[in-house]
Amino acid sequence: MENGKDIADFAVNYGVSHGASYIEARVVDSRDESYATRNGVILSGGITYLCGIAIRVLANGGMGFCSTANLTKNTIEAVIEEAIKLAKASKRKTPITFSDEKVVQAKWKTPVKIKFEDISIEEKQKFMFDIDKILNKEFRFKLPTRTFLLDLYSDEKYIVTSEGSKVESENSIISTISFNTAKGKAGGEQRMLNLGGTSGWEWIEENNVVEKILDDNKCLVKAARNAIETNLNEVDVVISGEVAGIMAHENVGHPSEADRILGREGAQAGESFYLDLIQKGNLGDIKIGREEVTIIDDPTRPGNSGFYLYDDECVKARPRYLIKKGMLNELLLNREYASRYNTKSNAAARAISYKREPIIRMANTYFAPGDFTFEELFEDIKTGIYMKSFTEWNIDDRRFQSKYVGLEVYLIENGEITDTMIRRPILELTTFGILGNVDAVSKDFNSPHGYCGKGEPMQGVPVWLGGPHVRLRNINLGGKNK
Amino acid sequence: MSENEDFLKVAIEIAQKENIDEVIAQRIKGKTYQIRFSNSLIDNSKIWSNDILELFLAKGKRTTQIDIEAPNPTKIRNTIIKASKFLLKLPESFLYNGMESNLHTYKKLDQIFDPKIMSFSEKAPELVNTAIQTSLESGAKKVAGVLYFGYSKTELMTNYGNEGSYDGSYYRFTIRSFVDAESSGQGIVCSRNLSGVEKKFSQAGIKAGEIAKMAVGGTQGHPGKYDVIMSPTVAANVLGQVFDGLNPIKIMIGMSPLKNKHIGKQIASEDFTVVDNALLDNGLGSRPFDVEGTPTGKTPIFTNGILEGLLHNTSTSKMEQVENTGNSIFFDFGIGSKFLAPGPSNIVISGGNYTLEEIIAECKKPTIYLTSNWYTRFTNMMDGLFSTIPRDGMFLIENGEIKKPVRKLRLSDNLLRICSNISAIGKDVQQIYWWEVVTPTFSPTIKVNDCTITAATQ
Repeated sequence: MENGKDIADFAVNYGVSHGASYIEARVVDSRDESYATRNGVILSGGITYLCGIAIRVLANGGMGFCSTANLTKNTIEAVIEEAIKLAKASKRKTPITFSDEKVVQAKWKTPVKIKFEDISIEEKQKFMFDIDKILNKEFRFKLPTRTFLLDLYSDEKYIVTSEGSKVESENSIISTISFNTAKGKAGGEQRMLNLGGTSGWEWIEENNVVEKILDDNKCLVKAARNAIETNLNEVDVVISGEVAGIMAHENVGHPSEADRILGREGAQAGESFYLDLIQKGNLGDIKIGREEVTIIDDPTRPGNSGFYLYDDECVKARPRYLIKKGMLNELLLNREYASRYNTKSNAAARAISYKREPIIRMANTYFAPGDFTFEELFEDIKTGIYMKSFTEWNIDDRRFQSKYVGLEVYLIENGEITDTMIRRPILELTTFGILGNVDAVSKDFNSPHGYCGKGEPMQGVPVWLGGPHVRLRNINLGGKNK
Repeated sequence: MSENEDFLKVAIEIAQKENIDEVIAQRIKGKTYQIRFSNSLIDNSKIWSNDILELFLAKGKRTTQIDIEAPNPTKIRNTIIKASKFLLKLPESFLYNGMESNLHTYKKLDQIFDPKIMSFSEKAPELVNTAIQTSLESGAKKVAGVLYFGYSKTELMTNYGNEGSYDGSYYRFTIRSFVDAESSGQGIVCSRNLSGVEKKFSQAGIKAGEIAKMAVGGTQGHPGKYDVIMSPTVAANVLGQVFDGLNPIKIMIGMSPLKNKHIGKQIASEDFTVVDNALLDNGLGSRPFDVEGTPTGKTPIFTNGILEGLLHNTSTSKMEQVENTGNSIFFDFGIGSKFLAPGPSNIVISGGNYTLEEIIAECKKPTIYLTSNWYTRFTNMMDGLFSTIPRDGMFLIENGEIKKPVRKLRLSDNLLRICSNISAIGKDVQQIYWWEVVTPTFSPTIKVNDCTITAATQ
């Protein structure tokens, strides 16, 4: 990394002296170790080491980006010159500007007790094979297809800007994906369970990962074997932290991204229905849900998958209150879009590798806990469903029309969760249909891991999307795909 | 001997000294450019200087795959020595049944490289701005999109003596035009060569603008059963989910609606004929050899609705005791390490006899015409239960005419049912490759009967 830091400093000086009004250089030195198994037999395993530099420039009001793994001065000079030339050739009528931010010199790192490279390859494989043995022993033919992925990523990063900011960081992310198929009377059910966090190898034990995977598969098998079709129409719905988390992410986090609102993702991930709201009112005055709804995106939570303390534009991270008591409160901003709104960045700029530009991303997005106990949520429900997990989901590109298909779902009758499992109920709701029908939020909390896709080329960043249990009243279940 | 060949030989020699049985060394070197634009202005221009050495190492049935960026002899040596030690600690993979060991020569694919690409960065920003202007003049109020272009040299060497190389160039251009926030249209054009590129960009911009104008005033559509006309863009995405499942490994792990029992059976409508063709002059996925060094070719997938077979590499062809189709790629699950598995090159759906206008005119039942879509996800991949979200212009057709633009609907259906309910195929075969279609797919307009359309309940 020392050589990389020198090269990054060189790049910034070179860019400034060759016509860039702003330049930032980001060197990332990463190690990615991963394995995949199918039914306890290895599919793949490998360790890839990558080190390269990303350079972003502003010149004549245009933006240019280049990256290379060839960290020689000649190569760096050539790519910077080309990036500046292309930035100038964009001939923008309105120049791109960045918000003024405090110049910082800082270091941060993910707390790690056991580094991935300090654990033997054999132990990592034993962890994977043991999980499969446990699942196979427990379920046999009921869970005939089991795929498991383990990914151990770590990096060192150095970012330097022509304004004088310098941030060094060390990150470590562990994640698993379990994709299994359970056999049932009415066909099969499939489940992709993502678990992960910013941590070292200790994460597995500290988070009872083996138990979590076993419990999740018990639910998958139960759903495949026991869930029944129903003709439920209007019901009250209690959703788990997992389901609340994906809604917080898709229905609130994404439309809060200022680059979408102002059209930059127009041809890719799309725009945002927030544009209509913001044109008619001011942040803080726009009601978007009931007052029980507070949704936060917070990069500063240690251990969560989207943890960081400075973003990839050297801006200090802080929690972002996207919705506060039902009112649209804050957008997700990087420096370019903070400038467009004449405000400060709230440090939402992230890039997944040295080959990608930093763009506005979520980190750890969640419904804020409320005052209810878990039991109190159900007390006055006459007929309802309790949706603990989901399978299929999607949402339109303005982030308004969403769909969540339940996997582990129980019938609620007269205030009690029954043993009756409902097969694949569908919440096909607008964002208003969700946020406008929340009337209670529990005190408990769950923290699922996931990957968020956005940008072009696609950048799948690790995020965390969770929350407490949330109750929605009088929901009409949606139509099924047959 | 070129520098590339040196590196490939160096890699194989080092691996063999480390007692590795089988080695693939593939180097891809070149440049990729991207110009992103939105609000009718260029947002960012990017350049990637690519130089990657992809290595596959096997000892018996133990395998690993590693990438080396900006390779040099020291990096290659150190990486292979580390990987060799790592490899010995891996268990054997029952899926690995060897790689291509016969010696081959390869076809020359001269048409997949256009030397004009080397200087295209000089005029690309201007062409983008011209296309934006054209779309605005055709009625759009704002325009977003992306242009990618680039070139690369791919060189391959294996321990069995197979050697080959090819040069490739490409561009792909997506333009999305908006009249207002909910009235939009998209145009796509992609090619290996730059002939007529300026006109093609403008035509894509005009098409996007025209769809956007037609979408103005759209209203909430009604859920129900409809016949659906899928534009080439939509057909490439939706049916692409089936083609992705041509990989026997995906079938094995439950990520495909296809099953071995479907082979030889009619599971799609009689008009549906599809091949995987790696030798097309203009195909963005064209290549003379796969990563094992097996010569590529043209593989029938569906003939008149009958599933002819799957795509294979050496390992899966031995496993299934069928012919190797030369489709070996370095495959991954989106994250994590790669391994040898089959993957498509260019998917080609045969065109039919109809123009779009004729397909529309023959619609007797209420029909929804989808011009674009995104976010296709599954309730169950093995069963093919999915939904996808239309975006850009979507239109209700009644009595053989486009009646009105509609909005806020979702296609919620089953892939195999869609295959078997294809009722008309257009002549308008177009290469599609964009954000939502990552396998180059030559696709026509396709009409499917009796699809389930859903909408938000509140």
